[in-house]
Amino acid sequence: MRFIPIIAIIGSAAAGNFVKDFGPTINPPYIPANYDAQETHASTSILGQFRTSISSWLWLRTDLYLHNGVEMRQMTEAERKSGMSTEDAADDGHKKLMNEESVLTTVPSKDRDFRGIFGDIERATSAYKDMHHHTHNDPVAALPLFRLMTWLDPTFVPGWVQGAAIIGRDRSDAAAIKAVEYLKEGERQDPFSVSIVMEIGEIYITRLNNLPKAVTYLEQARSMGKHRDWVSEDAENTALEQTYRWLALCYRNLEQTQMMRQVASEGLKRYPDDIVLAHVLYQPPALMKPQYQKEWAREKISEQKSTAKVDDPLE
Amino acid sequence: MNKIRIWKAIGRGVLLESVRRKDLWVIAILGMIIILAASMLGFFGVRGLEVFVKDLAVTVLGIFSTIVAILTSSRLLPDEIRNRTLYPLLARPITRMDLLLGKFFGAVAATWIGFLMLAALTAVALLIFHVQFEWVMIQYMVLKMMGLVVLCAVTLTLSAYMTPQAAATMSFVLAFGSVMFEQGLLMAGNSAGKGMRPIFATVSDILPQYHLFDEGSRAANIGWGSAPIWVVLALGTYMIFYSGAMISMAWSKFRKQAI
Repeated sequence: MRFIPIIAIIGSAAAGNFVKDFGPTINPPYIPANYDAQETHASTSILGQFRTSISSWLWLRTDLYLHNGVEMRQMTEAERKSGMSTEDAADDGHKKLMNEESVLTTVPSKDRDFRGIFGDIERATSAYKDMHHHTHNDPVAALPLFRLMTWLDPTFVPGWVQGAAIIGRDRSDAAAIKAVEYLKEGERQDPFSVSIVMEIGEIYITRLNNLPKAVTYLEQARSMGKHRDWVSEDAENTALEQTYRWLALCYRNLEQTQMMRQVASEGLKRYPDDIVLAHVLYQPPALMKPQYQKEWAREKISEQKSTAKVDDPLE
Repeated sequence: MNKIRIWKAIGRGVLLESVRRKDLWVIAILGMIIILAASMLGFFGVRGLEVFVKDLAVTVLGIFSTIVAILTSSRLLPDEIRNRTLYPLLARPITRMDLLLGKFFGAVAATWIGFLMLAALTAVALLIFHVQFEWVMIQYMVLKMMGLVVLCAVTLTLSAYMTPQAAATMSFVLAFGSVMFEQGLLMAGNSAGKGMRPIFATVSDILPQYHLFDEGSRAANIGWGSAPIWVVLALGTYMIFYSGAMISMAWSKFRKQAI
């Protein structure tokens, strides 16, 4: 009789262990009611804005430290049209971290400065140098800042994604695994980010060469994207497009043709101009030279658009 | 010599007034904020965050010293007029210009003392974390103090033309918007074409160039040497001429002002 409580505890633990696998089936992932509380509650909105502002500020500072204090800015449309030479980066492996296709130093170089001696003084007193084909400081030094910004705002997706890119810069498997762990921490904090889950999938493909595992994550990202009408942010939308591309390519390499076609077709309905997906779906003739394959895929896309054969996957 | 003694006496009065009005409490509170912020960083650990900590330190130092300079300078003249303490001052054998210069030097002295106190507190907070500064930090402080002279002159002049609150607000806008205005003028000037550039250049020249005195980005980041000596001399000359022009403007208003 006196063992009854112990047996009951063990029994209940066993029962709990048995039923916990049913969790996702019984309670499928859903967005909690208070997930968008910043839209309805002033205090949450203010706190959220404060956290986001601090994180965004740290984000900008990180960019600054990678340039050793030299402030950069994007070119204006007029500057781009005038043919001004961009002060782009040398290829030092940072393309993944920042887009610097058309950037200039905020403090202007002498040739684009009409202020005379004031311009000379500013170039001498601020952190300024000619940044044509510039290199960056070691981003590992900025890693604590990524930690800080994700601690301050756990839903700051760029902090997780770029932080993982920095961790994974060392091309070893160990670094890739650490990057995945970092991203998984981000996923726990923001379980509805397509970018984070897609990045995990991408690391499994490009670094760990584990396609079945990658498919699991990419399917998760695809599922989130499909059921989220609010994938409106540019970064998240781009991540979803990337998800479809990687997933279609994964299924192709895993020789699951049916799934490949299904994913590519679904992706094309959402992103009708995507050449990669069109390429996967409409497989150009093997004899066609690679330089013509893109053109061929483009033609297929416009053909499909004009005949409107493609159904809307969101309907 | 006599003039210098007059300016010194009035300047000392400004300092005493600053102590009496408990302005130093503002500095103490701001200093407490620095220490608290540093403690928060200590919570995370600053390993790998040295550049960030230095950057934060020079940013905070710049903001707080600007606040002290503006709050000190903006009410010197209006308070004397409102409290009628100006009468006994002008009853002595001093000119209005002496009074103005004495107030200006007093404001600069009070601001410099506040700046040095904040710098000392910041240095202590950073030393706790073993964050090392390069020599450029000394030049940063010298240039910052020169910039504060210009800021005091501009604020004092604005306070001669408007209420202390309006003068303080205008000064804050000019001080914190300095970089933004300059960037805006530069971009507008470059896109406007050669014919229009002199106009933008003139507007840029008229506005106080506070940002030129800020070497914070060099002091915080690694490997930037100090600026050449000609730059310091040029900024010194600018400080003298610009502050002189501002004080002259303040005097042109103050000398005709009915009291």
